[in-house]
Amino acid sequence: MVQYSYFPGCNLKTDARGFEKSAIAVSKKLESELVEIPNWNCCGTVHTMTSDNLMKRIAPVRILARSRNHIEELEDTLNQAVTLCSMCNSTLKIVNKEMKEDLDALETINFQLEEDNETYENDMEVKHFLEILRDSVGFSKIREKVVKPLIGLKISAYYGCMLLHPDEAKIDDAEMPSVLEDLVESLGAESIFSPMFKHCCGSYHIVEDEDIVTDQVKKITGDVLSRGANALVVACPLCAYNLDQQQKMLMEKTGKKDVLPIFYFSQLMAIAMGEPWEINHFEDHKIDPRELLKKLKIEE
Amino acid sequence: MSYEYIKFGPEERDFIAKIEEISGQNIYSCYQCGKCSAGCAFSSRMDKTVNQLIHFIQMGQKDRVLEANTHWVCSSCLTCSIRCPREIDVAALMEAVREYILREEPEKVKISELSKEVIEKLPNIALVGNFRKMTG
Repeated sequence: MVQYSYFPGCNLKTDARGFEKSAIAVSKKLESELVEIPNWNCCGTVHTMTSDNLMKRIAPVRILARSRNHIEELEDTLNQAVTLCSMCNSTLKIVNKEMKEDLDALETINFQLEEDNETYENDMEVKHFLEILRDSVGFSKIREKVVKPLIGLKISAYYGCMLLHPDEAKIDDAEMPSVLEDLVESLGAESIFSPMFKHCCGSYHIVEDEDIVTDQVKKITGDVLSRGANALVVACPLCAYNLDQQQKMLMEKTGKKDVLPIFYFSQLMAIAMGEPWEINHFEDHKIDPRELLKKLKIEE
Repeated sequence: MSYEYIKFGPEERDFIAKIEEISGQNIYSCYQCGKCSAGCAFSSRMDKTVNQLIHFIQMGQKDRVLEANTHWVCSSCLTCSIRCPREIDVAALMEAVREYILREEPEKVKISELSKEVIEKLPNIALVGNFRKMTG
């Protein structure tokens, strides 16, 4: 059993708990266990693009320092911090690269961390769980563990921005990625390409200008539906919330009937690998994916 | 064709220098190809497109830059940054304009005016992300 130092981030404990629980369950089944970093803090969600503000970089560096300490307690592990949320993935990867290149900045931040008897030696790598699945576990091993192939699911992969941007953080080719498609196909589902795969969902604008997000969600789901897909797979809790909640809102306001349930990739894996249903927490979704799964006779 | 005389003095140069300092980018690397605006998911909502805003920064036209909504509509998806043929981190320029404003007026979004209902409904990833971008 390989163990990975795993950083959950804020949403995996609240709105996206089904994402975390299903990912941990399948990680054990694939003998690549995700073990949570003790005493972690928020990464800051969005990476600061300013060149003159170190303060906003302290939180992610502290996570990397704690992850480095954490791997001492793990078995058969690597110097890797693993994330599930794509925004955490991006923030941690960018800061990690900056700290490897700018030793003066690292020294200044370490001066702050030392107040808590912590220091970061910039010897960690940040990985998204999808990279572990593709590069360390392999899709053939995932295919072997499938007990309930997802026949009838026509899934469009929605990568969002932060899995593919910027170069420091991308987990796949930024203009033509395939990791999510390969994953859902190894689970027995059909993958449907949509050019909207990284058309931004509107992200944090949901707080102050919901219309921006509504427009984006209309464009994304409209295209995906026209290509015959019946579900979307995502890796970002904010994409998931925006797509799910806005479709529900449009359904109530306009009577729109065609909707796409949103799955986290780990939920699809958990279903296909025969994990207990409850861990997916489908009751948290605004558009209940269980209806589609029942129709396709994937859920009994 | 109409012409407009613009002022280009120390004040304009200071503005350019500040944006370059915050973003770490060379504003004159941009040759106005417009690829950033063409691929931007939000161009239709911007009163000046991304390359237009950059042009106004290049000319030091601070008022025109600050009155635009471009940098506020930008959601930092970074599509422009990875596609720029001049390898400019375009999104960092948008961030620099936001920061330039927020360092003086730190509340583009007034957290105290958000309703309890909104705060309870939204996931923390949205709230933290928004406050990091819209408050100083």
